[in-house]
Amino acid sequence: MRNQYIWPGRKSWLLCPAIVLFCLTGFQKKAQAQETQIRGFVHFDAALRDDKVNFTLGEQDLFITSQLSDRISFLGETVFKYSASSPTKFDISIERIVMKYNYYRNHNVLFGKHHTPVNFWNDTYHHGRVFFPTIFRPMMFDQGIIPLHTTGIRLQGQNLGDMRFGYDILVGNGVASDDLTDNNSSKSFMAGFSFRPADKLKLGASYYYDEIPKGATLHHTSLKSRKNVTQQLISGSLSYFDNNFEYLIESTMSINKNDSTGSPISYASYGYFGYRYKKFVPYVKGEYLDMNAKEVYFSNHPQINYLVGLRYEVNYLTVLKLEYAHTETHASGSAPKVKYNSVNFQFAIGF
Amino acid sequence: MHQDMKKLQYLTTLLVLFVSMLTMSFKDDDVALAVVANEKGAPAALTMKFLKSVVQGDKQRWPDGTKISLAFLKTNTPVGNATAKKLMGMNGDQFNKYWLALVFQGKANAPAFFNTTQELEAYVSTTPGAVGIIDGNQSTKLRSISVDDKKSF
Repeated sequence: MRNQYIWPGRKSWLLCPAIVLFCLTGFQKKAQAQETQIRGFVHFDAALRDDKVNFTLGEQDLFITSQLSDRISFLGETVFKYSASSPTKFDISIERIVMKYNYYRNHNVLFGKHHTPVNFWNDTYHHGRVFFPTIFRPMMFDQGIIPLHTTGIRLQGQNLGDMRFGYDILVGNGVASDDLTDNNSSKSFMAGFSFRPADKLKLGASYYYDEIPKGATLHHTSLKSRKNVTQQLISGSLSYFDNNFEYLIESTMSINKNDSTGSPISYASYGYFGYRYKKFVPYVKGEYLDMNAKEVYFSNHPQINYLVGLRYEVNYLTVLKLEYAHTETHASGSAPKVKYNSVNFQFAIGF
Repeated sequence: MHQDMKKLQYLTTLLVLFVSMLTMSFKDDDVALAVVANEKGAPAALTMKFLKSVVQGDKQRWPDGTKISLAFLKTNTPVGNATAKKLMGMNGDQFNKYWLALVFQGKANAPAFFNTTQELEAYVSTTPGAVGIIDGNQSTKLRSISVDDKKSF
């Protein structure tokens, strides 16, 4: 498909930096034919919980890439999903708009709305369930610990040298801001690096800083910050995916400094292990969120999730997953702990 | 008891879904491969290590600064399947998924996949920086690139 996508007018300001860059790059050898591709992902879930089976229509994710010139490219990700508050019961959300300028070899500068590359999962899987090794994202995403998106400017280097070193530096509007304006004069800042000493092995670490006001909503949750917070996140990842073994271990330490309880430190970690036999991948995952009782931003109670599952990859665009999971969640304050077991099924495709 | 039966029925249905969607895997052919390139971009000789890093999308540009454009035969062809196996240690599905994921992450531009060698050669001949993998036993008018001092591998 070529050039069939028309951008909504109210987002057209986001194209300005790309247009300016395009005009300024006098060293463009010649304009190439524009190559635009549209791909998509969608999934359907079923869950057995509390003796009731629920069928759930998942997100429809449209993914667009376009090579505008020798050095400038575009990537957009738009999700259509259920929303109870919408008159039509469905919402459209812009998950990523990234304009990339490749200024030297494997070094790029990117403008737009990014998935904050604080850890492997958020930088790798995004919204395509076909790629997820499990049915759901780790709990640390549901609990708002990972700042999912950042609108801003990103410097990126990939696969540098024999160790395939990579870096990301991202300055953005921050968690409490929106895609149009920043809520305060302080910018969020993220710096991360990774390296791949072997083909299937990747190690990474990142640092994230943000100033978040009281009342700010945590990403993709209904949770709100209970105090003004100066946040620091320090994350580490180890991933290894070969033709048989799959390991993914990630951990994030958060320090949410505030005037009331000081600088409580919380930890969120999960580990995934899978073994591939032909098209089948049985797997296990365990996750523990060790939340500090003095926490004023996230929940101040620990959370647990562990599961065992089976993934069947029909082909590279079709995946079936079946999981049995045990979950213990606990909202902030005196809210009761919620414990439940569930059997979940997912049918995910790409197109 | 009734609830247990319902759970069992539900689980059985899901398992049947899994088993019923089995598909055939592709035949694994051992094919000699060769590298062809546009006049601009790729050096005349590559090491296998360098070629692998190009094929897996680690590099965006050739040493002379030309943007790398990858051209493969589709993985449902013997040469395409052999490309995935010899250069990436993957089957066709894994190779396709690897590349789809890389593009989805915004970390590489999608390779061009072709049904026939003629289509691939036409693309490589007209695209500066393009490099393609073809059948090593087939003659070509394009510039051949040696890999570890061999014309095919």
